[in-house]
Amino acid sequence: MKSQPINNSLGIFPKSWSEEHAGRIPGNIPIWVGILSELTEFGIFFAAYFIAKFYYPETFAQGPQSLHTSLGVTNTIVLLSSSYFMAKAMSFIRVNNKIKCERYLWLALSCGVLYLIIKTWEFHWNTLQGFSANTNEFFTVYYYMTFNHFIHVGWASCAILWVIFRLRRGAYSSAEHSGLEALAVYWHMIDLMWILIFPLLYVLR
Amino acid sequence: MKHSIKLEYYLAALIVITLLNTFLGEKFSSTTLVSILIAITVTYKGFVVIDHFMELKGANKNLRFLMRLYFVIFPSLIIVSAFY
Repeated sequence: MKSQPINNSLGIFPKSWSEEHAGRIPGNIPIWVGILSELTEFGIFFAAYFIAKFYYPETFAQGPQSLHTSLGVTNTIVLLSSSYFMAKAMSFIRVNNKIKCERYLWLALSCGVLYLIIKTWEFHWNTLQGFSANTNEFFTVYYYMTFNHFIHVGWASCAILWVIFRLRRGAYSSAEHSGLEALAVYWHMIDLMWILIFPLLYVLR
Repeated sequence: MKHSIKLEYYLAALIVITLLNTFLGEKFSSTTLVSILIAITVTYKGFVVIDHFMELKGANKNLRFLMRLYFVIFPSLIIVSAFY
């Protein structure tokens, strides 16, 4: 039997999956294992949403009308802006402009913190309206999804702080910035998940 | 800085689409057409972030395929759910 050619980096993938054949992997392989795991986790949340919506269509039609839509829209714009700032930070490290790179990382971090503040306010507002995870099936899915996403933004914001610290210590340059790029792709993944969560919970009736 | 200008353009497009989606959801009862429009725009937003912010366009084609597939499957379910 003809043996399968393997990837040089891990030795477990076919050669067609290697960087020479499939193209460069942004960041590093471990962060992509993490990202694909997170996508699976959120995929289960989305599947739970569609199954629950199938069984409780009325509850899911009325649910979004109970939420503070303006806060949801604001958070979407804040996260999209954070992704933009992260992309700008990456463009500046590539030309070795560490000052501008750091500036954009701070802006991305500010957006992350702003998101957390707005989301906390939204949870508080829901409580004031008498809504909780036990209110109905819609709110169970809402808290399940958004609180999990909230935690992801929280720890990724901490990771931005760590990357800023490393940048200041001279760990990244135009030649070597895989750690910074790994954080950037992870941050974009979090933004992508919100792009899906927002219409499901706030827009679709 | 052509790439940077492109990023600004994409950010503006993403924000406009978000506001348009919200307007559609708020002003119109959830018809099948509205759900289809929202699903298509979600796919577009996902593709923009994957290709231009995440920079997978021109990078690893398998990763790009998986990420884009995700933004085909779940928006498709939005369309399916409109027929519940």
